[in-house]
Amino acid sequence: MAATNELTIERRGHTRPAARRRANFVIFLCPAIVLTVLFFVIPVVIDIAVSFTDLSRSLRITKFTTEQYQRIFQGDRRLPEVIGLTFIYVFGTLAIFNVTFGLVLALTTTSINKIAGGFFRGVWLLPRMSPSVLYILLWLWAINPSEVGLLNQVLMRVLGLNKPLDLMTAAPIALIVISNGFIGASLGMIIFTAAIRGIPEHLFHAAAVDGAGTVAQIRFITLPALRWPISFVTIYQTLSLLVSFEYILLLTKGGPFYDTTVYALYVYRRAFESGQYGYGAALAFFLIAIGVAVALLGWRFFDMERLLQRPRIEVQ
Amino acid sequence: MARQAALTDFHPRPTAVDWDRMAARARSMRRAEAVALYAFLIAVSLPIILPYFWLVTIAFSAKAGVAETMVLWRSMLVLVPGVIAFWLAAMVARNRREAWLGMGAIALTAAIAFGLLVGPDLHLRNFIFLVEPDFASVVRSRVGAVRGAVQFPNVWHAFANSLLIAGAQTVSVVTVASLAAYYVSRWQFPGRAGMLRSLLVLHAFPVLTLVVPMFLMLYWIGLLDTLFGVILVLVAFELPFAIFIMKGFFDAVPWDIEMSALTDGASRRQSFLRVVLPQVRNGLLAIAVFTFIRGWEEYIFVFTFLIRNTNWTMSLYMYYVRDDVMGVDYGVVSAVGVFYLVPSLILYLAAQRYLMQMSIGGVKG
Repeated sequence: MAATNELTIERRGHTRPAARRRANFVIFLCPAIVLTVLFFVIPVVIDIAVSFTDLSRSLRITKFTTEQYQRIFQGDRRLPEVIGLTFIYVFGTLAIFNVTFGLVLALTTTSINKIAGGFFRGVWLLPRMSPSVLYILLWLWAINPSEVGLLNQVLMRVLGLNKPLDLMTAAPIALIVISNGFIGASLGMIIFTAAIRGIPEHLFHAAAVDGAGTVAQIRFITLPALRWPISFVTIYQTLSLLVSFEYILLLTKGGPFYDTTVYALYVYRRAFESGQYGYGAALAFFLIAIGVAVALLGWRFFDMERLLQRPRIEVQ
Repeated sequence: MARQAALTDFHPRPTAVDWDRMAARARSMRRAEAVALYAFLIAVSLPIILPYFWLVTIAFSAKAGVAETMVLWRSMLVLVPGVIAFWLAAMVARNRREAWLGMGAIALTAAIAFGLLVGPDLHLRNFIFLVEPDFASVVRSRVGAVRGAVQFPNVWHAFANSLLIAGAQTVSVVTVASLAAYYVSRWQFPGRAGMLRSLLVLHAFPVLTLVVPMFLMLYWIGLLDTLFGVILVLVAFELPFAIFIMKGFFDAVPWDIEMSALTDGASRRQSFLRVVLPQVRNGLLAIAVFTFIRGWEEYIFVFTFLIRNTNWTMSLYMYYVRDDVMGVDYGVVSAVGVFYLVPSLILYLAAQRYLMQMSIGGVKG
């Protein structure tokens, strides 16, 4: 009896549960919700709205039209080229570097001495760890078209080339693929390394006893264990390659002419170089749609059940 | 054929398998494999190491302003054999004492060789931009060129701007994300499932696609070309990822700890602050460091949203130095590069452990 009394007294000291629940909701969740709505939801709405206007350099809306979309589907003759280039760039980088080379790096660095493996992984993380402006600065120096450039020094002195090579005009697409690939490879490398480390050691011993060589071990033990990480890296990196243009903008500015202007950069150049904000918004809408679609697809790879598990304490 | 030859062989064959020979063969096979692996890794890693090394050597040695490579090749001449000798010493040495002796001798030799070959060329004059705000004119007058229209702010001003952006972003993201993550992790409320679903979508959503509408929005509400506007945008963009990571850390805290705090009379808010928060210190550190680095490196959004040169961050400073002074003086450009790169690298190295934890946690969801 006394205990219940004490309890009620204690309860009375607090505010009512419902009010408390509301207060908690405001304190804990409101800042995040407000910021998210302000900077994710509203921009998407603005983008769709602006794509139906003729907003241009003067930043003043004079009329509402659908001509931006007409232009995308009929008028813009550069667009097919841009989309084709985007495909080459995204899937080229993905296939060569982000997945294949990342896998090669993970396999090789896990099969040598632990410290040495860590060292080489560290080297490959350098591009990811350095700020983008600096990373691209190093590229510009390395491929300098005169004989001062690092690449040209090697080519001319070691391989006996007699004329300095200008990679920027000779092979611009290869250049953006490689410069992005050097960064992309490291994500695959880290994720695959973690996955390889997670494979039980005894499987390899058992396979070795059964006569499996290195290749057979990789083929029948490592690769099957990496199926999930590989699909994760593929989906995730497709999206990030599709929307990111930072390194290309810094390295080639989309040039020469429009030769390295991928879709995302095309949006940026249309909006901020030519001042066609309305057209840029219409183009960006498709990127946003793809982004949402891929993000939804990514659901399949998350363990929803675990994420949605119910909390076990109901005290406010 | 071989089988027949074996059958017609009348010499008494060794009855036991020659284990020693097989072991030796396996050992040499393994050694060949290791050599091949190392050769491959060194070959693919050199293109990355060389430019970074070049940056450092130019920053500390370039004199006339041209991009010299002599110092680079000479220091490579010392460094590459040095590293190889180090590895060999570590492999050949039979015990720890021998290894230390060998490594010490190699380090000493390398240091002396480095001092003789490279030492005389080293100097700090390229770091002039740290003390001379108008370094661009000084550099230009040195070569007699007058080109260049960029008015540079004091480098410490840009440095402070970068610190401000990254710092404010970090504090806000850590606070807001840990509050929200705790709530979605531990509380039942209407719409919780929907909120978790949208969190998943947002965390994978590419924010770069929003750069055009974001620019217009900032322009209309008058926050374009202000540090405050950029900080708000960056905080919001970093949030879903940070909440996602923090939720993982909160999920891992045992319920019993919190339950016992509540039994001892703590309120839910008290138990969050005093009991649960200290348990997720690693998570807080991870998102803090990660957010700080992101703010420090940010380029696209600051490039698009900040215009006045008093608002420049280090990334813009670096960009314009490269654009304006590059043709004139490589030494100063690379000195700025080193100055900009080092904080990033230090942070990454210091927080490597936490970042690894996070990236794995992030992947597993």
